[in-house]
Amino acid sequence: MATLRLDGLKKTYPNGFVALHGLDLTIDDGELLVVVGPSGCGKSTLLRMLAGLEDITEGSLYIGEKRVNELEPVERDIAMVFQNYALYPHMSVAGNMEYALKNRGIPKEERRRKVEETARLIGLQDLLDRRPRQLSGGQRQRVAMGRAIVREPQVFLFDEPLSNLDAKLRVQMRLEIRRLQKRLGVTAVYVTHDQVEAMTLADRLIVMNEGRIEQLGTPMTLYEQPASTFVAGFIGSPAMNFLNANADGDTLTLPCGSQLTSPVDVHGDITLGIRPEHLVPVEESPQALTVQVELVEPLGADTLAYATLAGQTEPLVVRFDGVRRLNEGDRLWLAPDRERLHVFDPDHGHRLTTTETSTTS
Amino acid sequence: MATFQRHRFTPWILLAPQLAIIAIFFFWPAAQAIVQAFYIEDPFGLGREFVGFENFSRVLTSGEYLRAMGVTALFSATVALGAMGLALLLAVQADRVIHGASGYKTLLIWPYAVAPAVAGVLWMFMFDPNLGLLSAGLESLGIGWNHRVNGGQAMLLVILASIWKQMSYNFVFFLAGLQSIPKSLLEAAAIDGAGPWRRFWTITFPLLSPTTFFLLVMNSVYVFFETFGTIDATTGGGPGGATRTLVYKVYEDGFEGYDLGLSAAQSVILLVLVGLLTLLQFRYIERKVQY
Repeated sequence: MATLRLDGLKKTYPNGFVALHGLDLTIDDGELLVVVGPSGCGKSTLLRMLAGLEDITEGSLYIGEKRVNELEPVERDIAMVFQNYALYPHMSVAGNMEYALKNRGIPKEERRRKVEETARLIGLQDLLDRRPRQLSGGQRQRVAMGRAIVREPQVFLFDEPLSNLDAKLRVQMRLEIRRLQKRLGVTAVYVTHDQVEAMTLADRLIVMNEGRIEQLGTPMTLYEQPASTFVAGFIGSPAMNFLNANADGDTLTLPCGSQLTSPVDVHGDITLGIRPEHLVPVEESPQALTVQVELVEPLGADTLAYATLAGQTEPLVVRFDGVRRLNEGDRLWLAPDRERLHVFDPDHGHRLTTTETSTTS
Repeated sequence: MATFQRHRFTPWILLAPQLAIIAIFFFWPAAQAIVQAFYIEDPFGLGREFVGFENFSRVLTSGEYLRAMGVTALFSATVALGAMGLALLLAVQADRVIHGASGYKTLLIWPYAVAPAVAGVLWMFMFDPNLGLLSAGLESLGIGWNHRVNGGQAMLLVILASIWKQMSYNFVFFLAGLQSIPKSLLEAAAIDGAGPWRRFWTITFPLLSPTTFFLLVMNSVYVFFETFGTIDATTGGGPGGATRTLVYKVYEDGFEGYDLGLSAAQSVILLVLVGLLTLLQFRYIERKVQY
């Protein structure tokens, strides 16, 4: 068990491409940190640098109190679960789990005891003699987990471990990973591109974009106070709606003529963010946004409506309770909750707050 | 099912060209050799006499033939192991190269495009006792080189030439095999605490075993039959039969000695030997292969 500290961690590839621009971060002992972002944002590179599979160009990496930049993967005392599981196809399940212990010269008796103990913990005891190719996707995933656990490492690294599973199994394994990590109390870094996985697993969450940390915080902080349009668009499903608007103090005027009360005191053009679940249908009124339903997606529990709003290029996504019946072509009036409006800078995308803008304008 | 029955003859028509080639160039000559092995024929092919197993007993009791067997055993084992071992070493190195990899690969594959006889001549000239660069170099180191007199040196030369010739073929397959091993497996092994040497022997080598087994069979066939050209061009079986392998002796007795029956009996024996060897490989070594 250990803390993980990144101090200005930077990665530049030989062709000059900068994959990570100096990351500063401390991951607490026993914490599960999820790194989420689109493909190419540098999240996998970060994980591979932690594992020692990629060189660190600049900066320092500490596991516990020890600087590990120059240490080989094995000396860092980490375990990694790969996206494709990377199970050794020519070894049995027990052989796969035992391999790391064997390399460390642990005696046979102890190896067997540890493998059996771990197998019981994750429900693999009946499969120990099987080869990986005789296992289902979920079982392979379990073996990959078992191989990581049996070593009792200081840090777990997960590289999109659930992306090869079907939807139902993914939900089940997600819970299981969470349960195991809490039970073992091992520090873990979990990389994914799936925001639902990120939200449900994380103690803290990092959203990465183009090699930089866009925002770091608890899942709910990121949901409630996204630092930028990038984070706002990434966290939450369906994604947040962004509207063009003009702000004058606490009054926001939309191109369609509707006026809303702003949570912040700003002036000029802004990007207004409203989550689909925060648009509440109301009776016809001049304050409400008037929209026309273009497409309806009934999901059972919820119904999603894609609606057009005058003066906006993108359709507005609205989430209704599943019991509400909607038809294409319906006209609706929506009133957003003032406290749940998000105001962003239209050029740079960062979140605007009263204090920040009052000093600049 | 009905579709398959309606096309009962189509598969045979599609297979016909290949089957015809095998029949004309393999089964027919093989049958001829087997028939020939039971006759003694005069050198001009004017008449022949059925002699039963006399050709075989002549072959198997001849000291020269037993010696050729010994030469073949040494030659085959060394060439097959050498060509595969070196190819694997080079393939592992080439697999690690990132810059200019395709250039190295092309250069390493080149020898395969050289005809066996040309390869033999190439090596013969390099080691020619009078003209050769390498023999001159050895001379300056105080090592006298004359493969025309020294049987051991002649053997070394044909072994070198044959290894050099076959290595490229093995290299291509080993490299393809190495590249099909997922990189994440080796990374996982590195994280699991295996050093490069251990990673190779516990992960890479077992996963290469289908390739290795295939190459073992192919190389056995190569050393027994296809090295003829190299030996003929380099040493001509000499000096004094020091490099006379079984297949070379088939040629000598048949086409130089005009003892066609004896030669045919030898080729039948060789066929059976290689067949048995391949059978053994499939029975005992294939079990250890991880597909």
